Amino acid sequence: MGLEIIGDLRKDYTCNLIRNGQRVEGRGFREYREIRVERDVIKRAEGSARVKIGDTEVLVGIKLDTGEPFADSPDTGVIITNAELVPLASPEFESGPPNEDSVQLARVVDRGIRGSEAIDLEKLCIEEGEKVWIVFIDIHVLDDDGNLVDAAALGAIASLMNIRIPNERYGLTGDDTLPMRETPVAVTMVEVEGKILVDPNFYEESAATSRLTVISNADGSLSGMQKSGCGGLKEAEIAEMVEIGIEKAGELRETYLPPL
Amino acid sequence: MRRMYKVVVPGDFISDKENRAGEGTYVEEGKVYALCYGIVEEREEIKVVALSGKYVPSKGDVVIGRIVEISYPYWIVDIASPYEARLHISECGGGAEKLDFGSMSRFLDVEDFIVAKVIQVNVLMRIDLALKEEFKRGSGGRLVEIPHTKVPRVIGRNGSMIKMLKEKCNCFIFIAKNGRILIRGREADMNLASMVILKIADEAHTSGLTDRVANFLDSFSRDDEEK
Amino acid sequence: MNEGKGEEVELIKDGKRLDGRGFEEFRPLKIEVGVLKRADGSCYLELGDNKVIAAVYGPREMHPRHAQDAKMAVVKYRYNMAPFSVDDRKRPGPDRRSVEISKVSREALDPVIIKEYYPKMAIEVYVEMLQSDAGTRTAGINAASVALADAGIPMTDLVSSIAVGKIGGEVVLDLNAVEDNYGEADMPIAMIARTNTITALQMDGRMTKDEFERGLKLAMGACQQIYALQRAALIERYSKSKEGEE
Repeated sequence: MGLEIIGDLRKDYTCNLIRNGQRVEGRGFREYREIRVERDVIKRAEGSARVKIGDTEVLVGIKLDTGEPFADSPDTGVIITNAELVPLASPEFESGPPNEDSVQLARVVDRGIRGSEAIDLEKLCIEEGEKVWIVFIDIHVLDDDGNLVDAAALGAIASLMNIRIPNERYGLTGDDTLPMRETPVAVTMVEVEGKILVDPNFYEESAATSRLTVISNADGSLSGMQKSGCGGLKEAEIAEMVEIGIEKAGELRETYLPPL
Repeated sequence: MRRMYKVVVPGDFISDKENRAGEGTYVEEGKVYALCYGIVEEREEIKVVALSGKYVPSKGDVVIGRIVEISYPYWIVDIASPYEARLHISECGGGAEKLDFGSMSRFLDVEDFIVAKVIQVNVLMRIDLALKEEFKRGSGGRLVEIPHTKVPRVIGRNGSMIKMLKEKCNCFIFIAKNGRILIRGREADMNLASMVILKIADEAHTSGLTDRVANFLDSFSRDDEEK
Repeated sequence: MNEGKGEEVELIKDGKRLDGRGFEEFRPLKIEVGVLKRADGSCYLELGDNKVIAAVYGPREMHPRHAQDAKMAVVKYRYNMAPFSVDDRKRPGPDRRSVEISKVSREALDPVIIKEYYPKMAIEVYVEMLQSDAGTRTAGINAASVALADAGIPMTDLVSSIAVGKIGGEVVLDLNAVEDNYGEADMPIAMIARTNTITALQMDGRMTKDEFERGLKLAMGACQQIYALQRAALIERYSKSKEGEE
């Protein structure tokens, strides 16, 4: 009960600031919090990255395993994306099977990767119809201070950019690396008090009724979109958010996903 | 005088006269819109009478309730609403305020029916009742339940429909706001009244209903006479 | 989206789609109101070969108790596919796709519902796909909207929904299953026709910004038409004029 009251006060405080054209800590409406991306942080994973956006922290690990391909695509590998909102990350997360928020998070990140065809899945074929590589993208949220999507998506791409295919462990030969064809970047915006804010923190997320994630590629094409929250958006607002999304994605890509 | 009523769906524009907006409508930028699926009624107030929906009590409503629990000093009452109501021992008259937990059930027991007035509905949806009458089991009579939205139709304009029912069925009929109806009379008469009331509820939205019901009831009394 | 495009399917032949539709045509829509006896509100809807039934229960007591909101009703939405609704039998029970669709659909309808009317209660929407041919979530939202109205739930508006997509390089309306499988992008939306406010938006696949904007406009226009059909079905249900007394 105590936490809830404090939460509401912070939400009001946040809304007040926004009404006056400001954000907490003097951040600009189009500005991201401080971002840090560290790659290869987990030795046992075939790819990994730790992303911090402000106080939000997400760890992404890639594990590869061999398995059977899907019947309708016998010569392509498989991507399976999963997200866990572990209880230590927030007083609001409970342990148990994936809830709708973690399912949505995983599927949106997955959508961006799949839509852009960032990974050439045919390169993951070991033996057509029999054996392919399965790429498990596991998103582990460690601290939720808002905008988990952008952190998770950034972490996923950063991890994928230098995966090591563990051929020796499976007695196989082949390329150790898997070059990415695209670098989709997710940019999430919310609408609060009629203003569009990029990279909402926890309180801005609570105050907002609508949230839009725009996933775009280096050439400005879109490979995913997701509106969430119980509000509505006008066509003009969506158009503006798409423009901002593509622009900010370019900035993030340049700074945090430089080619190795 | 025959009047046509208009069926509306949520979001339908009804009128510019925002100061007359009533129940079942909302106002946005000076315009009155429908808030629910129903029929527009334009008198002093512009209202939309819902065709369906659950009964939510308002202060002053007279309802027929069923005791479901005894929780001293209250009886918990089912009033055919998603919300339960409660009746305090001090709102029953007849010395009930002196009852203790053990003796409450002798005054009113679980499964008993009561007629009560809604004296309060607070913001947390706590509903308080005051007893008007109780109907102990076995005191005769029958209870019919129809959707509360059909109650106005069973009453009719200026009570015309219910007046006709009482006369032609030769029954005592009391219609509560929450769709519960108490009927008292001879067995055969109560059967007829119940059947007709359910029929009215089913056909509430059609035209010429009063005449059809009158004819239907007349055909019954003619049968009686011929016997 | 089909990952291993082993065989390319030509989705557009001579400027027409495989089922003969034009680029801006949605599939035939059939709406029936109040089809279930026990539910408080219901709607059966067909969109092309999609067959969906939506039911609303509520307002009724919210469980679990600790999730009740003292000031307003909680809206719940469960999208489910019957095992026989698709070619490869779908195992009963919620899967991740259904969980996401349920969330997105609930968020599409929540904005119009006046939840403050029913503190502590739940308004439950159940949508069952009986036969599926892509665009199921849009069919579900259209049916749910009508079922909510049928149940007498107070709302500011109805919500209408349709998807646009990209096939053979063209932006087209309302993909069917083949088009969804072999196409390049799929974008379902939901909208309040009266105010042109969008309450659901997802995009899957790849589109340019220009294609996205054109697709959005196309979908919004279709939602206006769908709204008219939803409205007509509800009005027609009580079409016999209710004439006044005396």
